[in-house]
Amino acid sequence: MKKISIQKIIIYIFLVLMAVLYLAPLLWVFNVSFKTNKEIFTAPFALPQAPTFENFAFAWTAGKLGIATLNSFIVCIVTLLLSMVFGSMAAFAIARLRWKLSHASLVYFLIGMMIPVHCVMIPLFTRFAKVGLTNSLIGLILPYLTFALPVTIFIMVGFFEGMPNELIESACIDGATIFEIFFKVCLPLGKTGLFVTGLMTFIANWNELLLAMVFISDDMKKTLPVSLSKFVGPYNTNYSQMFAAIIIAIVPTIVVYCAFSNQIVDGLTAGAVKG
Amino acid sequence: MDKLLRNKKAIIIFMAPAFLLFTFVLFIPICQSVYYSFCDYNALTPPKFIGLENYKNLIGDKTLAIALKNSLFFLIFSCVSQLIMGLFLAALLTNIDKGRNLFKNIIYLPCVLSSAALGLLWMFIFSPKLGINQLLAKFGIEGPLWLMDTSGAIILPMWVIAFVALWQYVGQSMMLYMAQISGISKALYEASYIDGCNKVKSFRYITLPLIRPMVATAMSLNAIGSLKFFDLIFNMTEGGPNHKTEVLATHLYQQGFKYFKYGYASAIGVLLLILCLLVTAFINKVVKTENYEM
Repeated sequence: MKKISIQKIIIYIFLVLMAVLYLAPLLWVFNVSFKTNKEIFTAPFALPQAPTFENFAFAWTAGKLGIATLNSFIVCIVTLLLSMVFGSMAAFAIARLRWKLSHASLVYFLIGMMIPVHCVMIPLFTRFAKVGLTNSLIGLILPYLTFALPVTIFIMVGFFEGMPNELIESACIDGATIFEIFFKVCLPLGKTGLFVTGLMTFIANWNELLLAMVFISDDMKKTLPVSLSKFVGPYNTNYSQMFAAIIIAIVPTIVVYCAFSNQIVDGLTAGAVKG
Repeated sequence: MDKLLRNKKAIIIFMAPAFLLFTFVLFIPICQSVYYSFCDYNALTPPKFIGLENYKNLIGDKTLAIALKNSLFFLIFSCVSQLIMGLFLAALLTNIDKGRNLFKNIIYLPCVLSSAALGLLWMFIFSPKLGINQLLAKFGIEGPLWLMDTSGAIILPMWVIAFVALWQYVGQSMMLYMAQISGISKALYEASYIDGCNKVKSFRYITLPLIRPMVATAMSLNAIGSLKFFDLIFNMTEGGPNHKTEVLATHLYQQGFKYFKYGYASAIGVLLLILCLLVTAFINKVVKTENYEM
């Protein structure tokens, strides 16, 4: 019995060290984001002498993170809602409606999971430039939405297939149309699945850098990761503002994560098990 | 009911938005991308078919050689390190009860954070005179130039970035393995203890074989993720110094959107796509075996 407890102690010591390795950098950024730039050089590890919100104010206005946060929210929320609606509609048709190509179309969507966004960037960019969708949030939403669909469809197909047949049958007998069956019976029951995929979509798009950087050059349309990346460069060594910017960018996801960590884990494992 | 579910109109309405988006924003651009890779195409001239010219240029491109080497290094490093660390953490966490969720959530946390933001943070921590080196200086040690040293076959910045990537993403592998391990029946372990196995042995002979399908899944995710790798590098070194930390994605970005060589960048994209498909197929063939009953 004693031997086991020593083992446990070693495990816990190791895990605590790991936790420090993970939390220390984040707590440290939080700490220095309230310092003046000079303090970061002279006393990087001490608590701020006189905590200042100036860094945040500067990053928010002059650094244009305020507008970027708003843009990120718009893009993420619209993508989230549309991917839920379109994804679950397609998933319902694949899982429940009776047609020959339902399995083939599922495969078609799942192939999308393997394709890196890098490979479609150039044709999309040149096409969007022609029709005026670059420097527009819609131009970002379209590819984000498309790349969010495979996982949404995959997870929702699982949900809809698991629903009992009797449910649809009885709705049918009550005279419901197929749209009523979907929106009033099946979709409410698939809420948990939708919520999980929605979270994954939101987080992925909140953090997306490459496409946003390529498609958007107008400061007023940039999303958070793009505006954030501007804080680095040979001409800018104002680190305290950079740290404030980092905090602005990561706090929303930390909040979402703290509130819904279990659902996020569910989404991750459900999305990964794609046979 | 059958009539209701076979309603052609309904099927079309339900499928149309997703199908159209997928076709126009993903499928057609992929085909276009493949076509462009055979074209002389830049911001000024429309695409002109030139056959394999771009691919021939790929072979002579020194930066591409570095990028390819770095990408493959990432691929191998992340597959191996995430497998080992992910499994190790998962095994530890499934062995404790108190605080399991807490530690799990802490280690998974960076996965949901913006790697652009974390890249900036780590760029600072590994900068020449600040961060770690400032800490080391207190003990009278002169730290190396973490992100600028260019000696050796795999240069120091690549190792640094690879470890940062491991730090950020190991939580994902750990989660997947934990999910799989917690699905294994306790009875199997009890039986093995009666047969005289210790914990290490039961891990070797029960856990490992039973999580093989998940190993394939997690590894494929790692592999594709490390081939697509962009954000961290872009914000930590931007491919520098002197293109030494370039990877395929950053090289593609440079060629396509700094020099506007669309055709050439498309060829890099096609190379990336082929690598992704090959590696996933390879991993699934080698690692995956039949599913056991659990």
